[in-house]
Amino acid sequence: MSLKIEQLTGGYAGVPVIHDLNLTIEPGEAVGLIGLNGAGKSTTIKHILGLLRPQKGKIVLDGKELAANPTAFKQKVAYIPELPILYRELTLKEHLEMTMLAYGLDPKETWPRAEELLKMFRLDNKLDWLPIHFSKGMQQKVMIVTAFLPATELLVVDEPFTGLDPLAVANLLKLIKQAKDDGRMVLMTTHVLADAQQVVSSYAVLNNGTIETTGSLEEIREHYGLQPADSVDKLYEVLSKEQANV
Amino acid sequence: MYDLAKRRLKANFKQSLRYLSLVFNDFFVLALIFMLGALMFWYAQALKTMPVGQNLYKPLLAVLLWLPFLAGHFVTLFEPADEHFLLTQDRQLQSYLTPLFAYSMLLPTILLIAMGGILAPFALLKVQLPVVRYIGLLASIWILKIFQLSLQNKLLYFGWHCPLWVYNLLALATIILFTYNYALGISCFTVVLLLGVLGSRTVFNWSLVIETESKRKEGVYAFYSLFTDVDEKQIVIKRRKWLDFLLPKRLGWETPQSFLYRRTLLRNPEYLNLLVRMTAFAWLVSWLVQDYRWALGLSALVLILTLYQLRSLEHVFDYHLMYRVMPIDSAWQRRSLIRVLSLTLELQAVVIIIGWAIVLPKQTMLFLYMIFLLAITVFLVRIYLPLSLGGKHETQK
Repeated sequence: MSLKIEQLTGGYAGVPVIHDLNLTIEPGEAVGLIGLNGAGKSTTIKHILGLLRPQKGKIVLDGKELAANPTAFKQKVAYIPELPILYRELTLKEHLEMTMLAYGLDPKETWPRAEELLKMFRLDNKLDWLPIHFSKGMQQKVMIVTAFLPATELLVVDEPFTGLDPLAVANLLKLIKQAKDDGRMVLMTTHVLADAQQVVSSYAVLNNGTIETTGSLEEIREHYGLQPADSVDKLYEVLSKEQANV
Repeated sequence: MYDLAKRRLKANFKQSLRYLSLVFNDFFVLALIFMLGALMFWYAQALKTMPVGQNLYKPLLAVLLWLPFLAGHFVTLFEPADEHFLLTQDRQLQSYLTPLFAYSMLLPTILLIAMGGILAPFALLKVQLPVVRYIGLLASIWILKIFQLSLQNKLLYFGWHCPLWVYNLLALATIILFTYNYALGISCFTVVLLLGVLGSRTVFNWSLVIETESKRKEGVYAFYSLFTDVDEKQIVIKRRKWLDFLLPKRLGWETPQSFLYRRTLLRNPEYLNLLVRMTAFAWLVSWLVQDYRWALGLSALVLILTLYQLRSLEHVFDYHLMYRVMPIDSAWQRRSLIRVLSLTLELQAVVIIIGWAIVLPKQTMLFLYMIFLLAITVFLVRIYLPLSLGGKHETQK
C-alpha cells in the first residue's frame, strides 16, 4: 500500500507544467511538497485527484491505477483544498451525509466520529446551518472535518493553514499525526514550514516543474548548501535564483 | 476618474442594450402593444363616464405622478474591487459621479414624460387643472427628482443628511399641495429642495456604496431574468427548512446525486422559482380557459416545459471541484435525475389538479381529466424521460 507517481508529465491544454515527476509515499509517511508559487504543486495535486489527465506517466495508489479505475482510486483519497469548496445547497450536517454517501460509509458507525470532529473544531452547534454563510476559517474547518471522516489511505492537503486560528491549526496537526500513526499517507503542500515540521517526515522540493530532491529538512538544507545559521526560508531564495537561471 | 465613469457607462449601456433586446423581443413587444391598447381603450371609455372634479382625483393624480419620481436610483457603477483600488481617490469621486448623475436621470425622466402624457386627459378634463399648472407640476416633479438624486449622492458619504424616505414623503406632500394651491405647493417645494441641498459630506462610505450598487444591479438583473438567462445574476441560496418534509428521511434511500438534486430543487431559487412560476401559470391558464380539454392540453404543455427546463439539473455539479474529487459513480447520475424529476413532476401535477378543483367548473368529467393529466405525467417521467436520456452517453467524471 503506497502512492507511486512515475514519470508524470502533465499540465493544461497540452502545455506541460510538470515534467517526469517521480514521487513515492509509503504508509505512515507524511510528505511535504514545497516550492515557489508556480512551481507546479497545485498541478501535481490536480493530477493525483484525477482533475487533470497526464500527458505521460502514471499514478498508482495501493495497486490501483488512477487512469484505469478512477472511482476505486478516488475512494482511497480525501482532499482538503487551499480554499473551501462547499456545496451551496447543503447544510453542515448534509455535507457530512454527502461524504458518507460518496465514500459508502455506514451512517450509524460514522456519526460518532463526525461528532468528535465537529466538537474538536467547535462546529457541533451549527449542524443545521448552510456553511456558505460561515466565515472563511469556519468553512475551512468544514473541509477538514469532511476530509477526516472517511479513513482514506491517502490524504491530500493543500496549504492547510490558510485562514485557520491557532487552535484549529493545532487540531489539524494532531489529526495528521494520528493519520500517520494509523498507517495512512499524507501529501501536504505548504509554505509554513515551521508548522509543517511538526508532522512532515520528508520533503519533496518542486522547482521548474520537477522534483529536484527529496529527504528530511536537514538533507534538503544540505542539498541547497544552506548554512546551519540560515533560516529554512532561505531555501526559497535559492529556488528563486535557480528559476531565474533557467 | 471622469474617463473611468465614461468607460463604465459605455459598458453598462452595451450590457443593458443586449438584455433589453432580449426582453423586448418581437413576441413581447406584440403582447405589450395589445395590453397597452386594451388599457388605453379602457381608459378612454372610463374617461367618458367619469364625473368631473371628484375629491379623490387630486390625491390620486399626485400619487400616480409620484411613482415615476420614486423610480430610478443613483447609478454609481462601483465594483467591489473599487474599495481597494479607488480608496485614495475620495477627492476625485465627484468628477466620476457627474456623468453618472446625468445617466441616473434618464429613466425617471422617460417615465415621468410617459406618465405625464397618459395622465394629461385625466388631469386636464377630470381634475380640471389649468394646462400651465399641469406642466408646472410635471416640471416641479422633475426638479424634485434632480434634488433627490443629489441627496442620494450625498448619502454616499458619511455625515448628516436628510433621510431619503423623509424627502420622498415630503415630495409627495408637495405634489399634492401643487394640485390644490400653487402658492402652498411652491412654499413646500422650496423647503423640500433645501432639504435635498442641506447636509455634510465627510468621508466616502465605500462599504455602503458598494452594497447599495450591488443591490441595485441585482434588482435590474432580477427584472431581466424574468425574460432571459442572466449570467451576472447572483443566486442566493436559502435554507427553507419548512420544505425539509419533502426530503427522504433515510440516507439509505439516496445516491450522492439524488441527495444533491433534491436540495438544489428546494433551495436554489432558479429551480424552485421555475417550479412555482410554471405551476401558477398552469392554474392561471386553466382558470382563463374554463374548459377541461384546454386546461388539460395547456397544463400538460406546462409540465413538458418544466421537465425540459429541469433537465439542466443533471449537469449542475459537473464543474464542482469536490463533486469531481469525491468517489461518486457517474453511472448513478441519470438514474438519480429520473428519480428526482419523476417525483417533482408528479407532485407538480397533483398541485395543478388541486388548482383545477378550485378554478374549474365542478362536474364528474373534471375527475376524468384529472386522471388524464396524471397519466400524461407518469408517461412523461417514467417512459419518455428515461428514453430521451438513455440515448445519450453517460456523463464522464
